[in-house]
Amino acid sequence: MIANDLLKGTLRTIVLKLLADNRRMYGYEITKKVEELSDGKIVLTFGALYPVLHKLEADGHIKTDIEYIGKRVRKYYTLTEVGRSWAERKVDEFFDFVNTLTYVLKPTPA
Amino acid sequence: MIADIIDDNVDRIRIDIINLGLTYEPLVDDVLDHLCCMVEENMENGDSFENSYAKAFISIGDNRLPELQHQTLLLLNKKHQKMKKLTYFLGLASAIILLFGAISKHMHWPGAGIELTLGLLVIILGFLPLYLIVTYREQTDKKSIIYPVVAYLTIAFLLTAAVFRIQHWPAARIVTTIGLAILIIGFVPLYIVNAFQKARKGKVNPAYIILLLVGVAIIALMFNVRFGKEALDTYRNEAILNESRIFETEHQIQLIIDSAIENEHKALDEIQEIHAEAENLQKMIDEMLDKLLASVNEEGSSLEELRKMDYEGAGRDVIVKSGWARDFITSARKFRNNLTEIVDDPVTVNQIQDHLEFTGSVWFMEFGPEEVIYDPVIKIYYKHTDVSKGIALAEYVAISSLMDSE
Repeated sequence: MIANDLLKGTLRTIVLKLLADNRRMYGYEITKKVEELSDGKIVLTFGALYPVLHKLEADGHIKTDIEYIGKRVRKYYTLTEVGRSWAERKVDEFFDFVNTLTYVLKPTPA
Repeated sequence: MIADIIDDNVDRIRIDIINLGLTYEPLVDDVLDHLCCMVEENMENGDSFENSYAKAFISIGDNRLPELQHQTLLLLNKKHQKMKKLTYFLGLASAIILLFGAISKHMHWPGAGIELTLGLLVIILGFLPLYLIVTYREQTDKKSIIYPVVAYLTIAFLLTAAVFRIQHWPAARIVTTIGLAILIIGFVPLYIVNAFQKARKGKVNPAYIILLLVGVAIIALMFNVRFGKEALDTYRNEAILNESRIFETEHQIQLIIDSAIENEHKALDEIQEIHAEAENLQKMIDEMLDKLLASVNEEGSSLEELRKMDYEGAGRDVIVKSGWARDFITSARKFRNNLTEIVDDPVTVNQIQDHLEFTGSVWFMEFGPEEVIYDPVIKIYYKHTDVSKGIALAEYVAISSLMDSE
């Protein structure tokens, strides 16, 4: 399990990247995908996921399509054009950050 | 098959969700679908609907749905987000201003006081209230307005005290005392209670309490460290030493005067004139010292008692009451001018100037009334004895020189 405070800042990037790779996804699907990709190390609770999704939607980075599954509504989230280029930037930024961090944290040879 | 069973229960699940405190429709849809997916997955593994639903429901937890809604709505609330950004901005701005102020102060550049004051004011009036409002709004469980208000008052008063001290405004002591009082009887108990409540929920962190107590101790020390016991003792010892030197010098002066009278020395008039003037100055100092002691204890304290009852800020009271400086320094300067006029020998004149150093403008600027506002009584007492000693020595040097001049 990866600690929550490590995840905090990267949740948005994870969601954006998933949507960039998978065209459209619904909430539960996103949590499952993250669990699968991380080998169960990252468990997204819906308490963390949905605020981010709604914020991204309000900011115009993602949009929703509604589909009926029986009587209930399923919301599929898709990246908008703005969101797509933003997602790329965010992912690049993140890799940059990880590289820097790796460099900073790698053990120094004696 | 599974889908049908879930579909039959959708309305019930929706009502359960709403009953748990989730009312924001777009979120209800999300959570409903999410829960149904969880149930479906469990049922696919062979569990019954009721079991699966119960498991999924437990995994939500009691408080999570209102919390979810609260956080989502805050994220969507543009005003709140703007306020949050403004809070960060003000925090950063005040930090930069304070940093500049600190550098200016260290480098003795002009404007350090204004920068530090401005930085602290931005914190007190801008950053701090906004920060507490933002964090208060973001809290979901059991909000209490008392905690942020007490926290605000504590920090605001302590920072205001810092402003008063930097600007040398009067009443700094009172503001500091109020701040410390709120800290000790308000904030600390609240903090500890709060920490224990959190601890009961499993978020135990005694480190914070220790940290807080250390912080309190540091703040309390900070305001007292300038005059520790040792410093006060040093002033007392030096004052006692000065007094014995004054006694000795005055004894020698008396011997010279007696001999001048006996021999009907030709400079006798000048010697007696000098002695009268010096005596007058010594009397003024004695009066000031009496008032100084009386300010601590109306019955007139001994030096030993004074040391025990000393308090920072006494300097201001005493100076205001005793009128230290103005009249005295005028007379002392006249005394200096007379001595240097009467005495011819340049080396003796230099010695006199040195002994009466306190009449010079640099000394006055650095140790005069403006500078001793925060001095404890014992330090002012010591300065008085130092001045008294200087007068006695100057007198001694002057009349010895007159005696030898023939």
